[in-house]
Amino acid sequence: MERREALKKMAFLMGGAISATTMSVLFESFTVYNPEQRTTYSFLASDGEIFGEFAEIILPTTTNSPGAKAAGIGTLIPLLIKDCYPLNLQEIFKKGFEDMLAKCRTKFNKEFLNLNTAEKNQLMKELKQETIDNNREPSFFLIARDLTLLGYFTSEIGCTIAREYLPIPGKYDGNADYIPGQKAWAI
Amino acid sequence: MNINTDLKKQNTYDAIVVGSGISGGWAAKELTQKGLKVLMLERGKNIEHIKDYDSAMKAPWEIAYCGQLTQEQKRTHPVQTRDYPYQQANESWWVNDLECPYTEDKRFDWYRGFHVGGKSLMWGRQSYRFSDINFEDNKKDGHGNDWPIRYKDIAPWYDYVEKFAGISGQNEGWPLLPDGQFLPPMDMNCVEKSVKERIEKHYNKSRILTIGRSANLTVPHQGRGNCQYRNLCSRGCPFGAYFSTQSSTLPAAMATKKLTVRPYSIVNHIIYDEDSKKAKGVMVIDSETNESMEFYAKIVFVNGSTLGSTFILLNSTSEAHPNGLGNGSGQLGHNLMDHHFRCGAEGTVEGFEDKYTYGRRANGIYIPRYQNFKDDKRDYLRGFGYQGAASRGHWHKEVAELDFGGDFKEILSRPAESWTMGLGGFGEMLPYYENKVYIDHSKKDKWGQPVLAIDCEYKENEAKMREDMMYDAAEMLEAAGAKNVKAYDNGCYPGMTIHEMGTARMGNDPKESVLNKWNQMHEVSNVFVTDGSCMPSSACQNPSLTYMALTARACDYAVKELKKKNI
Repeated sequence: MERREALKKMAFLMGGAISATTMSVLFESFTVYNPEQRTTYSFLASDGEIFGEFAEIILPTTTNSPGAKAAGIGTLIPLLIKDCYPLNLQEIFKKGFEDMLAKCRTKFNKEFLNLNTAEKNQLMKELKQETIDNNREPSFFLIARDLTLLGYFTSEIGCTIAREYLPIPGKYDGNADYIPGQKAWAI
Repeated sequence: MNINTDLKKQNTYDAIVVGSGISGGWAAKELTQKGLKVLMLERGKNIEHIKDYDSAMKAPWEIAYCGQLTQEQKRTHPVQTRDYPYQQANESWWVNDLECPYTEDKRFDWYRGFHVGGKSLMWGRQSYRFSDINFEDNKKDGHGNDWPIRYKDIAPWYDYVEKFAGISGQNEGWPLLPDGQFLPPMDMNCVEKSVKERIEKHYNKSRILTIGRSANLTVPHQGRGNCQYRNLCSRGCPFGAYFSTQSSTLPAAMATKKLTVRPYSIVNHIIYDEDSKKAKGVMVIDSETNESMEFYAKIVFVNGSTLGSTFILLNSTSEAHPNGLGNGSGQLGHNLMDHHFRCGAEGTVEGFEDKYTYGRRANGIYIPRYQNFKDDKRDYLRGFGYQGAASRGHWHKEVAELDFGGDFKEILSRPAESWTMGLGGFGEMLPYYENKVYIDHSKKDKWGQPVLAIDCEYKENEAKMREDMMYDAAEMLEAAGAKNVKAYDNGCYPGMTIHEMGTARMGNDPKESVLNKWNQMHEVSNVFVTDGSCMPSSACQNPSLTYMALTARACDYAVKELKKKNI
């Protein structure tokens, strides 16, 4: 019974933390429909290029697979923001996006698209740290990174090149050998 | 005058089946195969097998919005979006909540699909028999009324429906989960096998773990293809590999050439004939034209889903039945139940890093009820079972650490370091008279009908049970050697399990129940109700298989009685 008491305490402490270890938790918990907030932001076509470059820093092209830009994340991010997020989150996203662009100008004296790789990585580290310091409250960095992961690993490139996609496996083997380095199944 | 006579003749059948889901499909199949001319009425659109499974063959990148829901979908589906079943890939198979509102005196999540096949297209496919312990519990502890049948009455019908539907599973000889007529079981994976062995040893076989019994074909069966392990069942199966109305009962019924299916037909009420004291037919609203019309038959099977059926019965008032058809007992609308879930435990299992899976199994493992049985006494009544699975997923700690970059991408392209094993409880809910539905005339749906009001809640027995659902799971996982074991209770509201049951219960006493032991109304002998509304108790097993068996049994009885001219 002592062990049971210990388990009880642990469950209390953990609360809903188990589900917080899934990739889309941010998306699921913050995008509840809000009837008062039906208008949506629109993005400039040129913003798509910036989102694509941003996503490329999160998941860049590597020797094994093309990156997020090639997977079309640049156009996916504004689409999802516009149609799937309530206005309060769209505002956070938009504000954070503009702050990031301004930061590039003050910090590097450059437009975002002109940053070199080292500058991009430095920028991203700072955005990451700001998000951690802010108790991981929804931010441009958090939302855009989350959408990059979601979009990339459901894209054709993510599913079929980064990972391996089996449309019709035809059988189930629950004791297959894992070959070191083997890719994950896409879904 | 002739025109009216012709119309009446044209609209007259031997039997009317209201609803086309799991139980309605079975009723149509059984009644037509026994020679009756049957009209099956479905309130929603038609969905043609395979042809209309629009997303079934789509790749992940072909699903809009990466599978996420839009704000507009959340606006039009405020109830359906409360939990996981309403998905981008099958979103058109769930109701627009704004068109068919209901009143929640207390929160009740009502998941509905209005189309031919009903929820048989989207169901979870887990198929478990009830045991005599379930059929006797009401009588033993005094909650609810006694079931008018015992296991021996339904056992041959479980055999019958399993053989046709195709249920894969493993016989275990477990007293609380009777064996069945199974197709070969699906495989457990290496971690599940290890967990099974260790749990069964630790508890000296007073608990068992078996592969889920699922209405997915492991071998070709009845002209249908076997499961291809895509785990996309809820989009409709192009191989016909899981049981649905479309894959199974509907083709069998159509083959008799005695079935007429009429989609877009909302049954508003059953027409009662004061002279014969029987139902003479149903009044239908065409959901596209709003036109109302009547259809007539010798018998009516009501299979509109638990609350859909009870709505029709409550809405079928007459001088003889002022409180709803066959409601002399006053029990119609009462004793609403669901199961309760969303609590259990999970942990990681080490030592299988050199193993992985091939294929996506649309099934998990099952631990049947073991509580309040033999020496295992609890401080609440009845019990629960577990569904679960072990898997090696995609999760990496770097996701939570907000990493980015090339190395991060490579890590995410590999499977998780270790396997996780989860156990989620499914608990029995007691029948409570005060958990009820009634008609709310203050609101109207899109077709001008009054709406249903639902007043239902879990009580102390369920709350106590949930503690054990968490900690028993955690203890078992620890006994199985799992690490980082975490218990959780994510909360549950009635309706969420989509196992709503009761509100037109069976029983021997007409003063205490709506239906007799043949699912026949005590007071209106030619009306049968064989969906979830007939259930006097919920047990903790997934209930659809029991609806199938009760339906086939009731059809057999009804046709025999018709032939004897008793109805």
